[in-house]
Amino acid sequence: MKNIVEIKDLTKKYFNKKALDNITLNIEEGKVVGILGPNGSGKTTLIKILTGLLRQTSGEAFIDEQKVGVYTKSIVSYLPDRNFLYKWMTIEDAFNLFKDFYSDFDENKFEEILNFMELEKSVKIETLSKGMHEKLNLTLVLSRNAKLYILDEPIAGVDPVARDQILDAIINNYNDKSSMLITTHLVRDMENMLEDVVFLKDGNIVLTGNAESLREEKGKQIDDIYKEVFSQ
Amino acid sequence: MIKYMKYEIKGTYKYILGILALVLILITGIYTYISRANRGSHIGTIFIGLSVLVLFGTALATFLYIVGSFRKELYDDRGYLTFTLPLTGNQIVGSKLIVALLWFAILGTAIAMYNIVMALILNPVEVNLSELLSMVSHIISMKEIVVIILGLIFNGVNMLVLIYFSMALSRVTFRNKRIGGLWFVIFLILSGVIAYGQYNVGELLPYYVDLNTFNIESMNTLRHQLNMGINTGIMMSTNIAASIYSIAITVILFIGTGYLIEKKIDL
Amino acid sequence: MEFNNNLPIYIQIMNLIKSKMVLGEFNGGDKLPSVREFSKELKVNPNTIQRGYQELEREGLVFTQRGMGTFVTQDVDAIKNLKKKMADELIDGFFKEIKKLGIEIDEIKKIISERIEEDKE
Repeated sequence: MKNIVEIKDLTKKYFNKKALDNITLNIEEGKVVGILGPNGSGKTTLIKILTGLLRQTSGEAFIDEQKVGVYTKSIVSYLPDRNFLYKWMTIEDAFNLFKDFYSDFDENKFEEILNFMELEKSVKIETLSKGMHEKLNLTLVLSRNAKLYILDEPIAGVDPVARDQILDAIINNYNDKSSMLITTHLVRDMENMLEDVVFLKDGNIVLTGNAESLREEKGKQIDDIYKEVFSQ
Repeated sequence: MIKYMKYEIKGTYKYILGILALVLILITGIYTYISRANRGSHIGTIFIGLSVLVLFGTALATFLYIVGSFRKELYDDRGYLTFTLPLTGNQIVGSKLIVALLWFAILGTAIAMYNIVMALILNPVEVNLSELLSMVSHIISMKEIVVIILGLIFNGVNMLVLIYFSMALSRVTFRNKRIGGLWFVIFLILSGVIAYGQYNVGELLPYYVDLNTFNIESMNTLRHQLNMGINTGIMMSTNIAASIYSIAITVILFIGTGYLIEKKIDL
Repeated sequence: MEFNNNLPIYIQIMNLIKSKMVLGEFNGGDKLPSVREFSKELKVNPNTIQRGYQELEREGLVFTQRGMGTFVTQDVDAIKNLKKKMADELIDGFFKEIKKLGIEIDEIKKIISERIEEDKE
């Protein structure tokens, strides 16, 4: 199977601290992959390199066989771990911006998900709560028919109702032509959605594999494996 | 790029219109006071003084606001959107630049026009418009106006690009640590260095082009002309080498800024 | 649904469907929920559901009709056997655990019949 993401010997240093230490990782097309690790394990650093917000110190990263750049940005749909929309916008403005810039943006899908998330187009973004922000951002990101979705902590800090809606939206929009890369430290809530998991600890991959095989092999759920790996 | 400019304008127009309204109201106030309080009351003086201060303050704030729109991309969360759009660094810088110029042009023109209108209304001196125009054209030719406007635009671009470059550079130095005001220090140093370079280039190749005739002349003939009083009105000549130099610097800084934000910034 | 025990998710999904078959919630010839529907309902990756269905098919408990979906087998014996097998598994587990307590077979009989009497009341 074709790899949508190929990462080779990727290292990112801040001063002398290594946020990523020589990581090699391939992600197959059509897979939902979870990058698991506590805060500061390098998850966000990895994602920022893939989205072009950060430069690696050494090593290489390819998406759809291209170096990170304008092309990869056009096929990657990225949900940052913060509110990235312009403050002056209404939901409608954000919708127009996505429609203008991303040719893979699907208007009908947007209306559908927005409806599901119970959000109104006329609302100003500044007035949204944390959970609503997260829902809106995810709506925009999932409305693209992107080759690769990169979701950074999609359910961190949202209430249980919003969390369920977000998980549902992700599941509903799963299709075998695109891949998803999801970072999380809330493993219990997310693990059933993941096919492959990558455990990241202090910038190193300490464990990786198919989620079901790991459950079979260790006789444990991924959440329990996570606790075992990171409690040491 | 046009698309991006659209959102840049949408995001700033309310502030700009607000500023414009404020400035126009203040100007109206000033003119009204001037026309009424001819004897120069204390309150009138204080009011005018304050208004002028506010006008200066507003001008500075507006300048910083427009220029700061670039800085916000580098430091605020909105950069997460801007820098993941499928745009090159040059497209982003170019959009910011054009929109900034547009605002300055609109503000400048609107305020200038308003001043003229107010002056005409409040000092109802019988002015024959065609007479006025012919008077103006006697002092300054159409060609000169075009050259002056082009010069203004070029200087504006020049300065904005230098500011953007300084901001981008200050963002990537010291491993992307945030240091307040560093960009201004970089801006001052670069301005100095560039001006020094420009002066030297001009000295080295002292050939000038007369913008009225497009003749190339050396400094000596130019001085000669000046002494003879041939070149009346505004001196319309520019050093060829220095002009090329400053165009080249502007282009380099522009591309450099695009490169920095596309390839170097760690958000 | 919470998946709490130590088995892979696809096996837990198989067990869920099996118990519904045994209870008659799914009868012979009934259509199972589509992979997508089930995936949404359980919030589980569709590929995991797919695997569960495939394994059930291998065990002869369901069959797939192209373009139609997955259906519960109409083989009544197969369901009966399943019920027997599941009961056996439970009893095996029970015996394994209760023997650990050092309880003899006669005593087990006594405890069970007492319990049955209690439940009747």
